[in-house]
Amino acid sequence: MGPVAGVTRDDGASLGELDDVRLLDACRAGRPGAFDVIVERHRRSVYQLCYRFVGSHEDASDLSQEVFLRVYRGLGRFRGGSSFATWLHRIGVNACLNRVAVKKPLTEELDARQHADTRTESPSERVLRQERGARVRAAITQLPPKQRATLVLRMYQELSHEEIAEVLGSSVGAVKANFFHALGNLKRLLGDEAL
Amino acid sequence: MAHLTPARLVDLAEGTEPESAVPHLGECDACRRSLAELRATMTVVVGPGGRGDDAVPEPSPLFWDHLSARVRDRVAESAPGGTGWVESWLRPRVALPILATVAGVVIVAVVASRGPIVQTPIPSTPLPIGESAQLPSLPPLEPLGTADDPSLGLMADYGTALSWDDMREEMALPGRAGSTDEAVITLSAEERQELQRLLEEEMTQPSALGAS
Repeated sequence: MGPVAGVTRDDGASLGELDDVRLLDACRAGRPGAFDVIVERHRRSVYQLCYRFVGSHEDASDLSQEVFLRVYRGLGRFRGGSSFATWLHRIGVNACLNRVAVKKPLTEELDARQHADTRTESPSERVLRQERGARVRAAITQLPPKQRATLVLRMYQELSHEEIAEVLGSSVGAVKANFFHALGNLKRLLGDEAL
Repeated sequence: MAHLTPARLVDLAEGTEPESAVPHLGECDACRRSLAELRATMTVVVGPGGRGDDAVPEPSPLFWDHLSARVRDRVAESAPGGTGWVESWLRPRVALPILATVAGVVIVAVVASRGPIVQTPIPSTPLPIGESAQLPSLPPLEPLGTADDPSLGLMADYGTALSWDDMREEMALPGRAGSTDEAVITLSAEERQELQRLLEEEMTQPSALGAS
């Protein structure tokens, strides 16, 4: 998608330089390549959000495509009442919740590759870290959907409680309570030795 | 004594609210324990090194471009007036079953156009078994080559045109000394003609048809 990011208008503005809101305007105006830039900009975040929910690369890949397709179809409905990131997360979380409602969580392979910097750790430390990460991810996929959404959005997507409330359509107090219970359930799932 | 609410404990665990502002913590072991467990679990979730410690496995470097390309394809399919409809029909997953169905229909139509299969009627009355069993009388066999069936005539023509020596050579028949094959092969032309006449005569006898 590199080439499309460099597409310029007559006034010289590059698509890659536009913020999300102006990119959405460009999409609505039918400007070629504008939506490609949106996808390129947010694909990693969307993929990671989906992966946290479903725990497998294949499902996360499918879900990511679905999320962007929903975004494209909903372009006309986005009025800018919330930020684009919040709107995108709302679509992503809804797609993930729909998916996990009809599909059992998968158990992730322990030897899944990770992109953490491993140059300073020994092989045994690396194995331990990977096992711990896989256990945490597997435990997260067993949480009730709303608790899972809250935990993922807060801990990994780094959304504020207010943003999460907007994404999930609930109150800030409810989000904090969900987060509290999610952590409690996670502690129970992981067992005391993990803490 | 009222304990701290989950929301309040979350604020304390995240540092949004300082512990010093909550005197209850100094008096309540249960709330202190809850807060400590909350912090410990948060540390495990993000890992000691932060978010990167529990990172999502990184897909292949090519994956991101493939993802973008697939999104672009799906967007093009869903776009009004796009070529998505045609493209979706040309996909093997859709096209192959359709082609297989069409082929099946064509085969059935061709077979049906050749008309019904003629079956020999089976006598409705069971045939008697035993000494009194009597086969229905059959018409006498006509000499080979004069029957209605043109294929029999063709076979007869081939039979008369092909000599035993030619056949032997064509089929590479082995000639065993003293065998019937050898006797037939060594017959003279007159003897073969006589043998053929005798065989045809024998075949036209009612006994050759199995009638009693």
